[in-house]
Amino acid sequence: MKAVWTMVALLAAVFVAAGCATKKGFEQPGFAFGCPVGEAKVGSMDDLVKVKTASEGRRTTIQATEVRCTKSGDLLKIDANLNNDSSSTKRIAYKFRWIDREGMRAWEEETWKPLLIYNNSNMMINAVAPTSKAVDFRLILMSQE
Amino acid sequence: MKSILVLIAAAVLAAGCAHEQTRYGDARAIETVSNQFGSTDLQVIAEAMARSMQQAPVIVAGNLPIVTVQEVKNKTSEYIDTRAITDSIRAELQKGGKVRFAVDAPGMTQQVDEIKRQQTEYYAKEQAVEKGQMIGAQYRMEGNITSIVKQVKDVKDVYYKFNLQLWNIRNGLLEWSDEKEIRKTTTKG
Repeated sequence: MKAVWTMVALLAAVFVAAGCATKKGFEQPGFAFGCPVGEAKVGSMDDLVKVKTASEGRRTTIQATEVRCTKSGDLLKIDANLNNDSSSTKRIAYKFRWIDREGMRAWEEETWKPLLIYNNSNMMINAVAPTSKAVDFRLILMSQE
Repeated sequence: MKSILVLIAAAVLAAGCAHEQTRYGDARAIETVSNQFGSTDLQVIAEAMARSMQQAPVIVAGNLPIVTVQEVKNKTSEYIDTRAITDSIRAELQKGGKVRFAVDAPGMTQQVDEIKRQQTEYYAKEQAVEKGQMIGAQYRMEGNITSIVKQVKDVKDVYYKFNLQLWNIRNGLLEWSDEKEIRKTTTKG
């Protein structure tokens, strides 16, 4: 009888452990919010934004607040939310930099795209990778003020 | 007389100081020299259209559809080389590797001339291309660009709308279409 109780207790422990190990999300290892992150430690949306965005040229006060990725066929698709929390309309330029599996550029440098964001507003920008070789990306922002 | 000489000397000095300088720039930088259709507009439109078209179901299906490029009509009041836009779209799609392109109407004369040339006595018969081997396109790409220009005193506003369509040649169905809008405002003073 003792052996039966031990067995039941063990099974219960395994189920509890399995329940705890199951993530509430749907992430595969090396991905956060659908975006590839590799070895980087990404525990929140803020971490992901830091990893995936960069500033070049004149710095802008516009900030990415959200980056989400998915697949469109075999192409990486990205949605990024840009926030202007200032009291004036801002003009920026942005582009995506596409990176392949080896960490090399998967595509030539994109053209800078001008963007106007009204004061106290959000703007969602989206992009689709030009090739299935592009498995990672960086969103680059530059002020146009 | 003395003042004229002083003026001439000043003019010569000024001309000597004003020198021209040429520098290379970033071909992909944002160009805002005027509000006419410019390089940034061309690049932004071509990129947006090519990326969007790559997601069209007939292209996602993955059987390398064959497309021919037809005219993009310029319905604006300014001169725009629409061929440059379609060439950029075609280059981006071709590099993406999901679409093949058949020779288009403007390139047909050169294609036929080359076939005819290879069929002359100067070429080895076994290697010369034969007539009747060209493959026709399944889809044709066409579009138009329109603009609305408004000017009041020192403000000029230009709105461009570029529309591109992918038509199924066999059944005449519109398989994909997308638009890109651009607004530019110039203020003097």
